[in-house]
Amino acid sequence: MFEIILLQSLVSGVLMGGIYALLGVGFSLTWGVMRVINIAHAGFGVLAAYIAYSLLEKTGLDPLLSLLISLPSFFFGGMILHRGLIRPITKARETIVASMVLTFGLAIVVENVMLWIWKADPRVLKPSYSGTAVFIGEVGLPIAQLVGFGLAAVGILLLYLFLNHTHTGKAVQATWQEKEGAALMGINLQKVSEIAFGLAIAAAGMGGVAMAMMYTFDPPVHNFWLIYMFLVVIVGGVGSILGTALAGLILGVITGLCMAFIPYQWINVLTFGLLIVVLLVRPQGLFKTGV
Amino acid sequence: MKELSQTGKKNRPALFAGIGVVALLALFPLVAPAPYFLSMLYMVFLYVVLAESWNIIGGFAGYLSFGHVAFFGLGAYTTAFLMNKLALSPVATILSSIPGGFVAALVAFVIGYPCLRLRGPYFAVVTMCFAFVVHMVMQNIDLFGGVEGLWLPAMKQPIHVIRGIFYELMLALMILVILFVRWMEGSKLGKGLVTIREDEEVAQTLGIHTPRIKALAFVLSAFFPGVAGGLHAYYLTYISPENVFDVMVSILIVLMTLFGGGGSWLGALIGAVSLSLVNEFLTTFVGAEIARIIYGMLFIGVILFMPNGIMEFFRRRRRVRLAAEEVSES
Repeated sequence: MFEIILLQSLVSGVLMGGIYALLGVGFSLTWGVMRVINIAHAGFGVLAAYIAYSLLEKTGLDPLLSLLISLPSFFFGGMILHRGLIRPITKARETIVASMVLTFGLAIVVENVMLWIWKADPRVLKPSYSGTAVFIGEVGLPIAQLVGFGLAAVGILLLYLFLNHTHTGKAVQATWQEKEGAALMGINLQKVSEIAFGLAIAAAGMGGVAMAMMYTFDPPVHNFWLIYMFLVVIVGGVGSILGTALAGLILGVITGLCMAFIPYQWINVLTFGLLIVVLLVRPQGLFKTGV
Repeated sequence: MKELSQTGKKNRPALFAGIGVVALLALFPLVAPAPYFLSMLYMVFLYVVLAESWNIIGGFAGYLSFGHVAFFGLGAYTTAFLMNKLALSPVATILSSIPGGFVAALVAFVIGYPCLRLRGPYFAVVTMCFAFVVHMVMQNIDLFGGVEGLWLPAMKQPIHVIRGIFYELMLALMILVILFVRWMEGSKLGKGLVTIREDEEVAQTLGIHTPRIKALAFVLSAFFPGVAGGLHAYYLTYISPENVFDVMVSILIVLMTLFGGGGSWLGALIGAVSLSLVNEFLTTFVGAEIARIIYGMLFIGVILFMPNGIMEFFRRRRRVRLAAEEVSES
C-alpha cells in the first residue's frame, strides 16, 4: 500500500513539475535575453486560464482549442507590451530592477482587471474529460493532468526547437550571449527582443491553462505561481530552457512526495523556504558553475 | 560643521514652516473634527512611517525590499500577542509596540546578514518570499490565532477620543522617523549607504564596512514598521494574517518612495503623503479594484516617465525652463 502512495505522489509530482517548467521557461527567456524580470508573467497565465474558462462555460469550447485563439493573441499582445512598456526601460542603468518595479505595476493592473471582470471566487477549469483517469497498475493518471503535462511538454519542446533550429531563434540566443556582437552581425535587437517577449507571454498563457486544469485558481494566485517560477528558473539557471525544465520536474517531485507526508498547508511554506535557501546558497543555479 | 550651520541658516524659513505644520497637525484633534478625518490622517501618517523606513534600505542603499510588510505584521502580532497573554492595560499595550519594533528588528538582523549578500533582483525576490513565508506560517500557528487572527479589546473611551489618541501617537512616531531619516541623510551612515547604492565595490575599497552598515540599515528600516504595526494592531482591535501581511502594502510603500524620489527624506514624505491621499480618495469614490488598477498604472508611469521620482522630475523641468529663459534673454 505504502509503495502505491509513494508511486502515485511521484507520478503526480512529475506531471505537476512539467507545468511548473512551462510557466518558468518564458520567464527564464525574458530574464536571460533582455534582462527583464516580468513579475506580471504568472498574471498572464491566470488571465489565459480565465479566458479558457469563460470560453468553456459560454460556448463549450475545449481549453485546448481555445488555446489556438488565445496563444496568437497573447503572442501579439506580448509584442505590443514590449514595444510600449519594456523597450523604454531597457536603456535604464539597472534594467532588471526597473523592469521588476514596472511589471509589478503591470501585475497589479492585470490582477485587478481580472478581479473586476471575474470576481474573487476560486474557479476550476473542467473540460469534458476532467474527473476521468487511466490506470497503470494501481497508479491513477487523471486525464486532465496528462493533458496539462502534454501541453507543457509540447510547449517546452517547441520553444527549444525554435531557439536551436530556426534563424530567428538562433538570433535570440546570440543576443543573449553577446548583445553588441549580435548587433554587429546585423541582428535587429528590438525585433528579436519583441519576438522573445511575445513567445514568453504565449508560454505563460499555455502554462496558465495547464495549471488551471489541475488546481483551482483566482486572481491573486499568480503571486504563488510567481514564487514557483522564481524557484525553477533560479534552480535551473537563468536563461536555460533545459535547466528550467529539469528544475520544474525536480520541484514537482519534491512537492509531490512531500504531499504524501506533510499537511497540505505546509507545502508552500516548504517550497518558499526552499527558494530562500537556494538563493542564499547557490543563486547561480544548481547546474551552472560560477556566475 | 561650519557648512552644516550655514545650511541650517539657509533653511530657517523651511524649519519654521515645518514646526508650524507639526503644531497645527498636533492641535488638529482639539477642534473636534469628524473621526473620519482623524483616521484618514492617521493612515497618511502610517504610510509616511512605512515609506520613510523603507527608504532607509530601499532608497538610500538601493536594496529593494519587496517584503517590508512582514516587519509591520510581526510588530502587530507581537503587540496583540503580548496584550492577550499578559492582559495588558491600554497604556501598557501602547508601550508594547516598542517590543514589537524590537522583534521586527531582531528578525531583520537574523535574515539581513545572509540576505544582504544578494544583490538587485535576488534581494528583491528573497524579501518577497520571506514575507510570504511569514504570512503562511502565521496562518498555520494556532498559538497566534491561525487564519482567524487575534482580537485586542478596545479602549473604553468614546470613539473620537480613541481616534485622537492614535492620531497623536502615529503623528509622534512619524515625526520621529522623519527626523531620524533627515539626520541620517547627512550622516556618515547615510552617505555610506548612498555610496553602496552607487557602487558597492567602490564603497568597499573606500574602507566602508558594507555588510555591517547594510545590516544596520536593514534593522533600522524594520524597527519603525514594527512599532507602527504594534500601534496599528491596537488601532484595528482585530488582526489577521490577511490584513497585516497584505502584499499590497509592501508594494505601495515601494511605489510611494520611488514616486517621491528615493534616497531623500523629503522625497519619501512627499510620495507617501500624496499617494496615500490619492489612495484614500480613489477607494472612497471608485472602489478598491479600480483604485488598484489606477495605482498599477501610476507605478508604470512613474518608472517610464520619472525614474528618479517626482521631485527630480520637477527639478529637472525647472532647470530646463531656466536654461531656456537664459537662452532667450541673451
